Amino acid sequence: MAAYLARRVAYAILTFFGITIVTFTLIHSVPGDPITFYIGKSGIHGVPPAVLQAIRHEYHLDETLPVQYGYWLRGVLTFDFGPSVVDHRPAMDRILEKLPNTFVLNFIAFALAALAGIPIGLWSASKSGHLFERGSSVVFFLLYSLPSFWVALLLMEFFAVRHTWLPLFGMTSDDYLLMSAGAKLADRIQHLVLPALALTYAQLAFYARFTKAALTEVIHQDFITTARAKGVSGTSVMWRHAFRNALLPLVTLLGLTIPYLLSGSVIIETMFEWDGVGRLYLQSLMSRDYPTVLALTVVTAVVTLFASVLSDVLYAIADPRVRVEGKR
Amino acid sequence: MKVVESGSWRDIWKRFRRSTIAMIALGYVVFVALVAFFAPLVASSKPLIVRTPTGLAFPAAQDFFTHREGVERLTAGRVLVNAPIRHSPNEIDFTNRLHEPTSAHLFGTDDVGRDVLARLVHGARVSLTVAFLAAAIALIVGSLLGAIAGYYGGWVDWLVSRLIEIVLCFPFLFLVLGIVALFRPSMYTIIIALGVTTWTDAARYVRGEIMRIRELEFAHAARAIGARDARIIFRHLLPNALAPALVSANFAVATAILTESALSFLGIGVPLPAPTWGGILGVAELYLDAAWWLAVYPGIAIFTTVAAFNVVGDRFREALDPRG
Repeated sequence: MAAYLARRVAYAILTFFGITIVTFTLIHSVPGDPITFYIGKSGIHGVPPAVLQAIRHEYHLDETLPVQYGYWLRGVLTFDFGPSVVDHRPAMDRILEKLPNTFVLNFIAFALAALAGIPIGLWSASKSGHLFERGSSVVFFLLYSLPSFWVALLLMEFFAVRHTWLPLFGMTSDDYLLMSAGAKLADRIQHLVLPALALTYAQLAFYARFTKAALTEVIHQDFITTARAKGVSGTSVMWRHAFRNALLPLVTLLGLTIPYLLSGSVIIETMFEWDGVGRLYLQSLMSRDYPTVLALTVVTAVVTLFASVLSDVLYAIADPRVRVEGKR
Repeated sequence: MKVVESGSWRDIWKRFRRSTIAMIALGYVVFVALVAFFAPLVASSKPLIVRTPTGLAFPAAQDFFTHREGVERLTAGRVLVNAPIRHSPNEIDFTNRLHEPTSAHLFGTDDVGRDVLARLVHGARVSLTVAFLAAAIALIVGSLLGAIAGYYGGWVDWLVSRLIEIVLCFPFLFLVLGIVALFRPSMYTIIIALGVTTWTDAARYVRGEIMRIRELEFAHAARAIGARDARIIFRHLLPNALAPALVSANFAVATAILTESALSFLGIGVPLPAPTWGGILGVAELYLDAAWWLAVYPGIAIFTTVAAFNVVGDRFREALDPRG
């Protein structure tokens, strides 16, 4: 186990450097002089050459690319991505203050989707062969194919424009600060409903499909046939033998979900003016706020990396076969 | 060894055909592809066929390969056949802004009086072009890298596997948005951004398949008669390892349509005045209370097309693997 863990972590460290190299290369292949990013929209026109040279020197732009990468990497390792072009506050601070908003929205969507999707998936797989089971996979696909921004648009139209039951956008009402504690909570929940719904349905279909596939795989294995052959009743086979083994692959869902909690809602956050990191990312792209863009890209990629290592390790703990196979 | 055992493809098709839903979805995919391909003839304010003093003329067909914006070549003569939808996608009519569906404009008009149905038809062209080219790039890049990784193993495989792992670490939409927005939004940027982010699926499938079949007898036989590596990979192994990658390409098309329309919706996709499904929905967001038809029809177009590709991909995969 220790060997497996060590190798997995070693790979992860390599991958981390890969992530930084890819990000750095990508941003440096964008056409244009990086110095204009720091000066702002007015550009370098009319700025004395000596000043430009000073700025270049300050940001190490007069060095070779590998040296620049070294300086940047040093910043990355200390979570220092430099000041935002927009308000000159550290890019990392801006991300950290938006993080809870994104997390709340996505976590609720994830919880709803998992709580509904996993049982639906188990149920539809246990009805293997029925017309219902064949039909359910099509329904999951239909849900999966609905563009989230279209669903959001229709939800807005129906619940916020036609009937003014729910707020159209934002995270709180204008008079939020004047409300009592209970009213504040109710107000927040009201603002959460539509964006959370728009995020939930596709994930729900995803979890249902994933669970269904996992259980179907187990049902077709020999030990289930053995259990049936020795006379175990249908429900008992399902509960005692099949479900337990089917839940194992669900551990990998964790690895797929954690990164989604950060980056899964760019469009929905933008549409509902939800003040989270997804919206921040899009705004930063639009205003060419490179430090924030770089910081968000690296942070989300590292979180993804961390989640995949975590789920691999959990899986190896839960299923010893993985460790053995991995050694080949 | 023939490129592919013809029997195996025929078996796959036989199993695929058994599913009614798969055939309906495939029929719809073909329909959308045809509409997209013939869009300049389906929706155009120019007539299809005109009888002129010197013979027959085909004004709408002029737009087929090169679309000339705003240049109306009037062809003198008697109109014999009009296009089924008698509006061009960029025909602006300020007197008919945001007009609800009528017999003249079956799906209504948008905020500058353009016919929504005509824009949907031409939008199919944009969406499918982006999606097919992106999926093709992903398939080619993914198959190549997957094939050499699977065939050579060792450090080549190690390197490709690390590259896949790195790409997978970036959140898909973040990476696509970043590439498109920073390198200036256009159809080509979107195609490339989607291609370089979605090749990993094809690479993983091809790698796995090649690893499985490279030690089979026919591969040894090819090696024994002295075939070079490239020949073994491209003539013998790859054709037999491609089917799962084709399934992934099918899903890549669906993802590409969804992503392109999302980008166009956000205003950083295919730039105006190009008609796009997502672009119409972007306008719909501004007139939510006034123009339901702007929000409904493009959404249905995206949804049905994506769903059809997904269902075809799913049933194709089932047909490949009759056990599962």
